[in-house]
Amino acid sequence: MAGKPVRPVNAIDQTRRMLSLVTYLRERPGARVEDVARAFGITEDELVSDLDVLPMCGTSFRGGDLLDIDTDGERIWWHNPAALGADAAEPLRLAADEATALLVAARAVATLPGLREGDRQALLRATAKVEAAAGEAAGASSRLSVTFESEGGVFADVDRAISERRRLWIRYYSPARDEVTEREIDPIRLVSVGHTYVEAWCRRSEARRTFRLDRVAEIKILDEPSAPPEIELRDLSQALVQPAAEDPEVVVEVGPGGRWVAEYYPHDSADELPDGGLRITLRTPDPASLRRLALRLGRDGRIVAPRELADSARRAARDALAAYETGYEADAAYGTGHAGAGVPAGADPAKGPYDRQEQEL
Amino acid sequence: MAIAKAERLMNLALCLLGTRRPLSKRELRESIEAYLEAGTDDSFNRMFERDKDDLRELGLVIETVEGLDGEVGYLARRDSNRLPPITLDAEEAAALGLAAKVWQQARLAGAASGALQKLRAAGLPEDVDPYEAHGALEPRIPVHEAAFEPLMLACRDRRPVVFDYRKANAAQPGTRHVEPWALECWRGHWYLAGFDRDRGAERVFRLSRITGRVRSRGTGFTVPVPDVVTVRETVASWAGESADRSALIRLRAGAGYPLRARATAVRELGDGWDELEIPYGHGLDAWLVEFGPDVVVLEPAELRADVVDRLRAVAKG
Repeated sequence: MAGKPVRPVNAIDQTRRMLSLVTYLRERPGARVEDVARAFGITEDELVSDLDVLPMCGTSFRGGDLLDIDTDGERIWWHNPAALGADAAEPLRLAADEATALLVAARAVATLPGLREGDRQALLRATAKVEAAAGEAAGASSRLSVTFESEGGVFADVDRAISERRRLWIRYYSPARDEVTEREIDPIRLVSVGHTYVEAWCRRSEARRTFRLDRVAEIKILDEPSAPPEIELRDLSQALVQPAAEDPEVVVEVGPGGRWVAEYYPHDSADELPDGGLRITLRTPDPASLRRLALRLGRDGRIVAPRELADSARRAARDALAAYETGYEADAAYGTGHAGAGVPAGADPAKGPYDRQEQEL
Repeated sequence: MAIAKAERLMNLALCLLGTRRPLSKRELRESIEAYLEAGTDDSFNRMFERDKDDLRELGLVIETVEGLDGEVGYLARRDSNRLPPITLDAEEAAALGLAAKVWQQARLAGAASGALQKLRAAGLPEDVDPYEAHGALEPRIPVHEAAFEPLMLACRDRRPVVFDYRKANAAQPGTRHVEPWALECWRGHWYLAGFDRDRGAERVFRLSRITGRVRSRGTGFTVPVPDVVTVRETVASWAGESADRSALIRLRAGAGYPLRARATAVRELGDGWDELEIPYGHGLDAWLVEFGPDVVVLEPAELRADVVDRLRAVAKG
């Protein structure tokens, strides 16, 4: 999982920021460091490092027209705003990448099912204005698109519960155990990463849990106030669920047709096998939950370890076969059978709609 | 200490924006300290060309003008670089503030912040904290695929690409020559749609299956880019979302909630089992097998055979 930190630190981003900064500061003598940093979405340290560079900049370093900008750590003063003609300080047009980044994101958020109508309208109005201001630069944004999946009704209820600080009752489906359980949760935030999740304090397990909205079978907003304990919000640039170091290890060997496992399951390692398959090592707090994976893989792969997991998948398959063939009484001796047509040509289990617990909890 | 690149780029930008007449390379070199220290003419020239490209990436329109004496000059005219007037209210500003935080890919995250900063400089209201305004909503666009950035640029600049691609069931990757049209993110995964030159037809690729580097080819597109590129529909059809048939299964009472949620009809049999009609599309066999002994396929025979076949493979171990 690559998921690098988002904070830009490169020269391009800094230059882009400083160009806007001079325009901004020119209009606001004595601006507060704190306010400017917030307006620019950067830390005060980042702002101060920009302010260190700006006095080295100007239209000619020899002509004595360097920008005379300094700060006492609290306010920012520009002593010679005339060093930059009013012309040179005008706001700059948007670049293609800038328009693309903003427009694609705004359009994606606007399509989130369940979003408040007021927010959606604001996004659409803003999108239209930015498109108009960007002109030709907006063209490239049609080359990228993003869809967030969400259950609109559930989303709206969770959103309301968060803003009114109320507890939720849900019936929630857990694929790992194929069961629906009832719980009361104190919602903290809604997170959309492809699918939409609610991060909440689960009153049943007394722990932080993340619930995928399309697995909420039923939801009610309770009258009780929500009171999640103060917990540190995690950085979501990585996968939503990360196995802990002490979780048991599971080893899966897949053929070429099972390579999708490496795309869907966060893993420690995936080593190439000579037949084009992979040997994948992953960790999970509950190996039994991977029985579904073993069943799904069929001839495309098998669980190597732990042994009990492999056995339980085999047993489940035999039990299931018993309903089709008398020779498959549970755990009874059985014939070798023979391969049928197998996976239809072009079949691609990884692309199925039947999600592979990629963010399983 | 070498002068930081950001300082050099900033100086070049201010010089080009501040001038009313084209400045020659020589004049720029004399005005900008980093260029004076650049050493040989060659290294200065290379640096200068790269810097101009970088500023153009930032959206600066830099004109190249040949003077009467044959000397080439450069300038960034105000008319072509000014942001047109744009007025956004507090709600719209908050909406853009939320949108600007969505990208988890360094280049686009930087570009989105840059866009917001330009709008800020142009007077975008800032009294509303987008987090406050939107409660606790955090949309994130994940980009884990290394192929994303080169393909994004290739789509933007309409440059054909070559990459190695491993199809779902293939043991070895094959080389594909593609004219890239559009990228789409669905359910957290990125897909590319484009014209596959070897197959002479439109194809959709999943970025996580691209192995190795994406190389670009200088030649242009040979096929016109369609006005509407439908990636998601293609992926959805692979995924069997366009189920056109129906299957009949028995499901143990209390089990298989997602099957029930999808069922078009449910009958309680009273013996601890229910009978369900569910849409039957591509991939259903693999999904049903996940439920192990809690599902029995009744019809159609083809699906039943596929499920039994899969179960046998697992039972053999």
